[in-house]
Amino acid sequence: MKFGPTLLVFSSCWLALISVLHGGLNLRWFDAAKPGMGGAKTFGVGFLPVTCHLTCPVTHFINKEMEGQDMFQPMRFNGWPELKEMFIGRPKDMPATFILAPMAIALREQGVRIKIVYLGHRDGSAVMVHKDSGIFQTSDLRGKTIAVPGRYANQRLIIYRELKKVGMTLEDIKLVEMPPPDMPAALLSKSVDAITSGEPFMGQTELDGYGRVLWQAKDVWPGFISCVLAVHEDAIRDHRVEIQKLVNGIAASGKWVDQSMDHRMDAAQFVSKNYYNQNPRLLSFVLSKPPDRVTYTRLSPLLADFEEIERLAKEAGILQGTAHFHDYVDDSFTPEASAQSAPEFEVKK
Amino acid sequence: MGNADMETSPVIAVRDTWMSFPGKTADQSVHVLERVNCEVQPGEFVCLVGPSGCGKSTLLNIVGGFLNETRGEVRVEGEPVSGPDPGRIFVFQENGVFPWLTVEQNIGFGLLGRPAAERAERVAHYLQMVSLTGFEKSYPRELSGGMRQRVEIARALAADARVLYMDEPFGALDFLTRLKMRADLIRIWQAEKKTILFVTHDIEEAVQLADRVLVMTKRPATIAEEVRIDLPRPRDLDSPGYLEARDHIFSIMGMDARGGGATD
Amino acid sequence: MSVRPQPVLSRQSRFSIAQISLPVIVGCIFVAAWHLAVKASGSDIFPTPWQVCLGLGDLARQGLLLKYIVASLFRVSWGFGLAVLVGVPLGLVLGWFKLAFTALNPFIQILRPISPIAWIPVAILWFGVKDTAPIFLIFLASVFPITVSAMAAVQNMQQVYLRAAQNFGLSGLPLFRRVILPAALPQIITGIRIALGVAWLVVVAAEMIAVNSGLGYLIIDARNAGKRYDLVVAGMVMIGLIGLVLDLLVRRLEKFDEVRWGYGQR
Repeated sequence: MKFGPTLLVFSSCWLALISVLHGGLNLRWFDAAKPGMGGAKTFGVGFLPVTCHLTCPVTHFINKEMEGQDMFQPMRFNGWPELKEMFIGRPKDMPATFILAPMAIALREQGVRIKIVYLGHRDGSAVMVHKDSGIFQTSDLRGKTIAVPGRYANQRLIIYRELKKVGMTLEDIKLVEMPPPDMPAALLSKSVDAITSGEPFMGQTELDGYGRVLWQAKDVWPGFISCVLAVHEDAIRDHRVEIQKLVNGIAASGKWVDQSMDHRMDAAQFVSKNYYNQNPRLLSFVLSKPPDRVTYTRLSPLLADFEEIERLAKEAGILQGTAHFHDYVDDSFTPEASAQSAPEFEVKK
Repeated sequence: MGNADMETSPVIAVRDTWMSFPGKTADQSVHVLERVNCEVQPGEFVCLVGPSGCGKSTLLNIVGGFLNETRGEVRVEGEPVSGPDPGRIFVFQENGVFPWLTVEQNIGFGLLGRPAAERAERVAHYLQMVSLTGFEKSYPRELSGGMRQRVEIARALAADARVLYMDEPFGALDFLTRLKMRADLIRIWQAEKKTILFVTHDIEEAVQLADRVLVMTKRPATIAEEVRIDLPRPRDLDSPGYLEARDHIFSIMGMDARGGGATD
Repeated sequence: MSVRPQPVLSRQSRFSIAQISLPVIVGCIFVAAWHLAVKASGSDIFPTPWQVCLGLGDLARQGLLLKYIVASLFRVSWGFGLAVLVGVPLGLVLGWFKLAFTALNPFIQILRPISPIAWIPVAILWFGVKDTAPIFLIFLASVFPITVSAMAAVQNMQQVYLRAAQNFGLSGLPLFRRVILPAALPQIITGIRIALGVAWLVVVAAEMIAVNSGLGYLIIDARNAGKRYDLVVAGMVMIGLIGLVLDLLVRRLEKFDEVRWGYGQR
């Protein structure tokens, strides 16, 4: 066998084979029905597999079930940096995303032309400590190491806010940044003393029996906001109708989730299975214990909420304080969205 | 076999040739050749001998077109040398057979412009001449050192080279193989009537092969003496003529070595 | 050149028994140590080997294992294939033309040590989150080792082959095709082997971008999925095993007659 021809034949056959397999198995080239093809252009909406973004997959699922297809295509990311880069780098492909509120404000301060149009959820965060630890109140955190999801995470603010109440500052503790999926293992191995992020990673430590709630966001900062829906200004200008439909969908599906515990359990099932690829037990747990651990109603962006975030973030040195509510919020979609009622939808059993 | 009386123009003519290699600084440049003069006649077999490191290979590389002389004039086949030429093939000390080609592909390397039939015929002819028939499809790594040298010689002959430059081609071979290769080379040279300029540091080898031996001095080298070997071939290695010529060359070089101390 | 088939054969067959049994023994010891270490630690976060096997079984039943392997191989094949197509000619040119080397080599040496992870923002910006982004990252990771090895192969090429070729009047493209490339090929293949290892190594990083398939994605996804470290390790095991197969395949290239001369006689 000759080297050149053998190599050439082998590699072209291999490339063809692997491409066809990939096209067939992962890209669905050969599926008869191609959703979203031939019809209207779909818009990507970024989300992470966390409960703060639950309304994104729920909206998509309900729309798909009720209308056959959805013009919004949820785009799942695994970390904040990639989500943010896609959002600001390729607004044509992904004009909207669920994003941390301080991160959205910071982007606006840095001149990225985006607007917060709606909230994603309220509450749904906690500070967890190891069940064997001697930490029972905020003042016990002095000198301890706490893991937070990132610089622009609201969890940083909630810690700052609680420390202030007992006369402490961020100087009195040690903050480390850590991707939320890694936090449970870090707490188990006691390499950090406390962890805080959005659910379901906090609930997971409780479910697995080594985490103890120090406090829930809903108890210390009622109505706590972590993630919001942000949209590019170009999309708001060019696709107002579609954005309104997206916001309406999120408002409606939020109300649907909060309507009954049955709906919450259904959502836990179909979101875990189809979108988050997590154990449904985990989502069921954080959506029910207690039932108001995370809520999906009262999602209109309100001045008072954001002024508090702005003020705390500036004090904590996270934001410059150069952008204000009307710079970074477009609440023109809220009246119509707030008027939505929960869809008449039941999961087929 | 000598061409002493022929008045034809020489194939190789080296006139007043100097060669120096630049050193680290300008005044450190290394003088290798100094005022070298020599000629090689058509069909002649000339050996260049000298102490190792004296510049024999440098001179051969200048004649072969791989190096440029610093001063002087080198003409081959009437033209000043401007680079290597397919009509004058170099046989390298470190073996220039291409290891990625088979024996027959190597021998046919210089014939790629020719029709396939002619190429096959010439390859087969020279394969036989160097006694490698049956090894056509072998790769050089499967051959012994002597066989590889024969492939290289066959490659030069097949390309119809008029002149062969051989740079210690048998230096890496064992003693018996070397003897056999010398006999083979003489046989091929007699059959093909090529002009051969052959570099060696082995005086016995030079005396066994050459019509004429050019003895070089230590560096900076020049031609110390030209020794004509008018002995019939095949040469008897015990004949008085052979021993006399050999001892004469030894004495030329020996004096040189004693006079100048270490040469290398 | 005498042929001695008898001793050669018997030595080879004895060798091949050891070749299979020794790694298997080491593998068994490793798996046993892993199992005991997990048991001794008393933690139920890190999975035992058996749990990993069950996890792999789960993935296989759902059809995900094949899908993910195909997706990763697809990205690595294209990223790496493009790297070979660009890297080999580029390296040959840089190795041969001094001026091109002087102009481009510092630039290449600057780009070379940058981890593909650092390129993720660029990849997202240019290619979005489709397959092209991880392909680009894998390309970047593997193109430099290939270029550098091809370059070094030409620069270290034995002078005698070049002189012999020039002696036969070769220059330009025929010189490249008939002498420089074949002379450099053994070293290029060694570089290609290293580069394929690197390409496969960065598949996890490359699939951190929001693709929704692949073994790297499996690992990142499993970390998001709560306590599914069995799947994380399953992903690691699959990446390792496929890496082994890929290396064995590239090693086959070294057996071709055209390049075998470059690897010494064993």
